[in-house]
Amino acid sequence: MSAWILERFKTFKDRPALAGPFGEVSYTDLLQLVDVADRELGALNLKGPTAFAIIGEQSPALVAWLVALAAHQHFIVPLAGDAAEHPKKLAQVHVQWIVFLDGLKWKLLPRVDESAAPSFLGYLVEKKHAGLILFSSGTSGTPKAMVQDFTILWETYRARRESHLPIIAMMGGDHIGGINTLLGALSAGALLVVPESRAPRCVAEAIRKHGVIVLPATPTFLNLLLVSGETHLPSLRLITYGTEPMPLILLHRLRETFGHARLIQTFGTSETGILKISSPNPDSTFISIDDENVEWKIINDELWLRSKTQVPGYLNASNEAFTDDGWFRTGDRVERGPGNTLCVLGRTGELINVGGEKVMPTEVESAILNTPGVIDCRVFGEKNSIVGQTVAAEVVAQSAEDPEKLRALIRVTCRSTLSAYKVPTRINFVPSIVSTRLKKLRP
Amino acid sequence: MMTRPQSLALVLKRLRALGQELDRPSLLTADEQTRLFGDGAALDSMGLVTLISDLEEDIYRECGARVALADEKAMSRLTSPFRRVNLLADYIIEVVNAG
Repeated sequence: MSAWILERFKTFKDRPALAGPFGEVSYTDLLQLVDVADRELGALNLKGPTAFAIIGEQSPALVAWLVALAAHQHFIVPLAGDAAEHPKKLAQVHVQWIVFLDGLKWKLLPRVDESAAPSFLGYLVEKKHAGLILFSSGTSGTPKAMVQDFTILWETYRARRESHLPIIAMMGGDHIGGINTLLGALSAGALLVVPESRAPRCVAEAIRKHGVIVLPATPTFLNLLLVSGETHLPSLRLITYGTEPMPLILLHRLRETFGHARLIQTFGTSETGILKISSPNPDSTFISIDDENVEWKIINDELWLRSKTQVPGYLNASNEAFTDDGWFRTGDRVERGPGNTLCVLGRTGELINVGGEKVMPTEVESAILNTPGVIDCRVFGEKNSIVGQTVAAEVVAQSAEDPEKLRALIRVTCRSTLSAYKVPTRINFVPSIVSTRLKKLRP
Repeated sequence: MMTRPQSLALVLKRLRALGQELDRPSLLTADEQTRLFGDGAALDSMGLVTLISDLEEDIYRECGARVALADEKAMSRLTSPFRRVNLLADYIIEVVNAG
């Protein structure tokens, strides 16, 4: 797998590959870093495919380890951002080695408490393929792990045409969208710009500094750009948006503000990979799926997908979303439009979409119930004009004394084990909860 | 009805509570000119959403009025009321007293 990508790096030579807080590196620099990572990996004398976590933001070090680990058919668990959930995720996949990424450098450390080989990845070992493990919010309080065949996934980028359009990394390597941006840029010889943080000001500064042309973002981020007033971005020519529904009113405001850039919708799931789609009408949110690797159909208003880059299932959760004949029920509620188009309206189930990040209510409920003084709770999504939806909770408290203090304690407890977007922004105290779902979960 | 000093006091009190909860000392000394969101601001997007949710509860407790501060009206303004403390205090008055 790595042969063709390394050949491309050689062809792209001194073109800039990545720019960010670590400085600017060329494709030749990347080749050297891959070589160093490869030698370090070889020195470990591993007997077979092994699970590695690579922890950190998009960087040359991330690229070096992705390429080196994929070349030797290892299993890669990219983790980024909020560290609160990292211990749970490392344990899920029996990670044996951790690479802490730091721009151009890294630190490789063993996890001494994990000795068992991840047997559930056996089918990849047989195919001599690398695995990429991503997570989504789980129902039981632990994140759901899913394995992508990384060799096949990366192969789908081989047909990418050469591109000189600088693109900015708005998601980490722990997200299918971040992986898509990274693989797309590297396969095409484009410059990937990494902002210091994903706050609107840092992103806007990075766009201006490096003349970024392509901005892949969520509707929430684009909304926050407008709120912060960081709208002077003359280099942008293409803004892609996805991972959550785009409100039409926001789409129109964005078209007014960024008239010089095309706005294009993207669509994908961690389970199926990113799909090739087009928007027949730029003023509407209807899309057309034009991907030779993907079949789709609508069953009871829900979008079903069958894709070549689809995960076989979750490692540690119910696989009822996957049918025996290879379809994945996305859980996205869609409407059919004219000319074989469709529009994503929201979710069919209880899943909450906070600015493009998915949250299962039960995962948050488990965390809230760990707070001293809480008897019962119910978590649900609430419409929000800033981030689309937010996590809201109704809580039954042991005593009516000082609800302010308990509200803060619940959030602090949640923050210690959950990513920040999963922490309830609204907590209401109620005398009792009417819900059958929770009772089933409790011991 | 709510007065401007009341709405400002509400915002500053809530920012101080959030500062303690999030362990962000800069929020403890917030004043009328403190930037909430955007360039050099004290809050990230989830912090801003939390602040607004808490303020909506505070307003309900103080005035008995259920208001939505982050609605499409607020989002479509040329200058967002969520950029600075004084703008938010002004916006609260406008929303509460219109209701």
